[in-house]
Amino acid sequence: MVTGPALRAHVREAGLAYLLLAPSLVFLAAFTYWPIIRSVWFSFHDVMLGSDKIFFLGLENYQRLWTDALFWKSLANTAFYTLVTIPSAIACALLLAVALDSKLRGMTFYRSAFFYPVMIPSVAAGMVWVFLYAPGYGPINHALALFGLPKLEWLYDSNTAMIAIIIMSIWKYSGYFMLILLAALQMIPSDLHEAARLDGVSAWNRLIHITIPLISPTLYFVIIIGLLHSYQIFDYVYVMTQGGPADATNVLTFYIYQNGFQYQDIGYASTLANVLLLFVGGLITLVALVFGRRVHYLGR
Amino acid sequence: MAEVVLQGVSKSYQGRPTVHGVDLAVADREFMVLVGPSGCGKSTTLRMVAGLEEITAGRLLIDGRDVTHAEPQKRDIAMVFQSYALYPHMTAYRNMAFGLLKTSKLPKAEIDRRIGEAAEILHITHLLERKPNALSGGERQRVAIGRALVRQPKVFLFDEPLSNLDAKLRTHMRGELKRLHKELGLTVIYVTHDQIEAMTLGTRVAILSEGRLQQVGAPMDLYMRPANTFVATFIGSPEMSLLRCALRPNGAGSVVHHPRFDTHIPGALERAEPGDILLGVRPEEVTLSPPETPAMARGTVERTELIGSEALAEIRMGDDRLMARTPVMQAPDVGAEVGLSFDMARVRLFDAATGRALARL
Repeated sequence: MVTGPALRAHVREAGLAYLLLAPSLVFLAAFTYWPIIRSVWFSFHDVMLGSDKIFFLGLENYQRLWTDALFWKSLANTAFYTLVTIPSAIACALLLAVALDSKLRGMTFYRSAFFYPVMIPSVAAGMVWVFLYAPGYGPINHALALFGLPKLEWLYDSNTAMIAIIIMSIWKYSGYFMLILLAALQMIPSDLHEAARLDGVSAWNRLIHITIPLISPTLYFVIIIGLLHSYQIFDYVYVMTQGGPADATNVLTFYIYQNGFQYQDIGYASTLANVLLLFVGGLITLVALVFGRRVHYLGR
Repeated sequence: MAEVVLQGVSKSYQGRPTVHGVDLAVADREFMVLVGPSGCGKSTTLRMVAGLEEITAGRLLIDGRDVTHAEPQKRDIAMVFQSYALYPHMTAYRNMAFGLLKTSKLPKAEIDRRIGEAAEILHITHLLERKPNALSGGERQRVAIGRALVRQPKVFLFDEPLSNLDAKLRTHMRGELKRLHKELGLTVIYVTHDQIEAMTLGTRVAILSEGRLQQVGAPMDLYMRPANTFVATFIGSPEMSLLRCALRPNGAGSVVHHPRFDTHIPGALERAEPGDILLGVRPEEVTLSPPETPAMARGTVERTELIGSEALAEIRMGDDRLMARTPVMQAPDVGAEVGLSFDMARVRLFDAATGRALARL
């Protein structure tokens, strides 16, 4: 039992801790937890943007999901975008990081160069890529023509629009992931690679059996961060395609925006937002189950 | 047969030379120790033999084959690192098997057999399923040696393998390495900064300083007949004392003149002309006597150190200081005046300008 002066000291210390935490707690409550609670509450009601009238609907909004083909399409689009973009971006980032993890001249320049896309605001980047993908005068089609390949409609074709956004996202994410992975690579003692080289282990086998296991905690972190970023994709879709053509790039966040702010159906938008939260939570749990156990923490 | 020959091997980093034309031949089954202070180029030399550093100039032959520019894996060598360089996510068994599994077409049974054999020799059979973080420093060291053994390479390279171990374990592992070398007939190149390790392990020892090879020879050879003042003071603990003297030819011999004494050296010397020399005296070549008895010279005891059965005394003679070793019961008091005599048959003379040993003819 803590009593007397010790108890008073304990209370004083705890009081100070809560005082320091208070500003963050207030902001978290106001801008994170309260909106979540509100959106759960909204999802059981018929709420229109700008109207005071609220009608209780029970599970009607959730039942509507089952028959809403566009919801399923946007969910599939989000899943496709995430499952292609994140592994590809991480693979590119890993290869870049391995290539840039050397003491050769000019490495600082290349590292900065590959990180540069991360610093471009996403709306600006989106505008640039709209130009790059332009079917008539876009440089990408010019480049394809140089190699005798057929020109593509890119953002204007429902078969290629999502791929186009994915390519751009890989370009944007790779530099960010590369920087994190590079920091992890530089933590690997060089003599481990030297020992393997002396043993005659090929560069590929060293990557698979030494590098990747040793940076697995960072890889795991990058996968989670990547998932959290990618399901929130909204800006590129908004700037580049507005969800089109024919909803080929309509992802959940964009569909939520359409329902909430274009059709002013806040109740249904909240329902979609809750589903998105569950979807991401499920995905991260899955990743944790599959990869979490394989992560090797050095020195443990 | 596994002979390693370095012919004028040099290394420069960005035009700055760090190893200067090292010539060294390591015979089959020899335990060659490269020793020197930090930054002398011994590790760089070893890494050039391993193929982890490019050789800037010169040639490297292993078993008569020119491997100067060969990839490390084409040299048929194995290396044990100072940090052990064990793969932390693999068990001891897997650490030893990894290279074989990924590079050779050996059947699993043969790999098992080799690992079992190496584990038995190194007494680590019970540790094979453990990962490095569950092993002590000495056990990790054994696994690292095991990983080299199972490869059955022509040459074993060791880069300061004992320096991360505590003193007691170091002595023990030294004995183990010696046993392994003898029992298995290994050809070893071993780098250390510790002269005791060099003296106790090496069949021959190569001493480096500032990227240059100073002397190569059997340990006692280096101790008894150092080629220059660097070797003389590097080998032996406490180090050899060097007294600045003048050499004067005198009849059939020479007179060594020190401000505190004159002594006659019988026989001819490599150099006859008078000049400055350094007289090299090891602590055990000094005999201390009570001040009233006749002696070669006199000095004052500055400091004594008891090291068990013996004592070390630092004696001041004018501007010079020298170390003497005496039985602990005869250790003089600090501040006492003592008589000194040198074993003139064993002391060495060095040219004061070049530091080179003057041969006695």
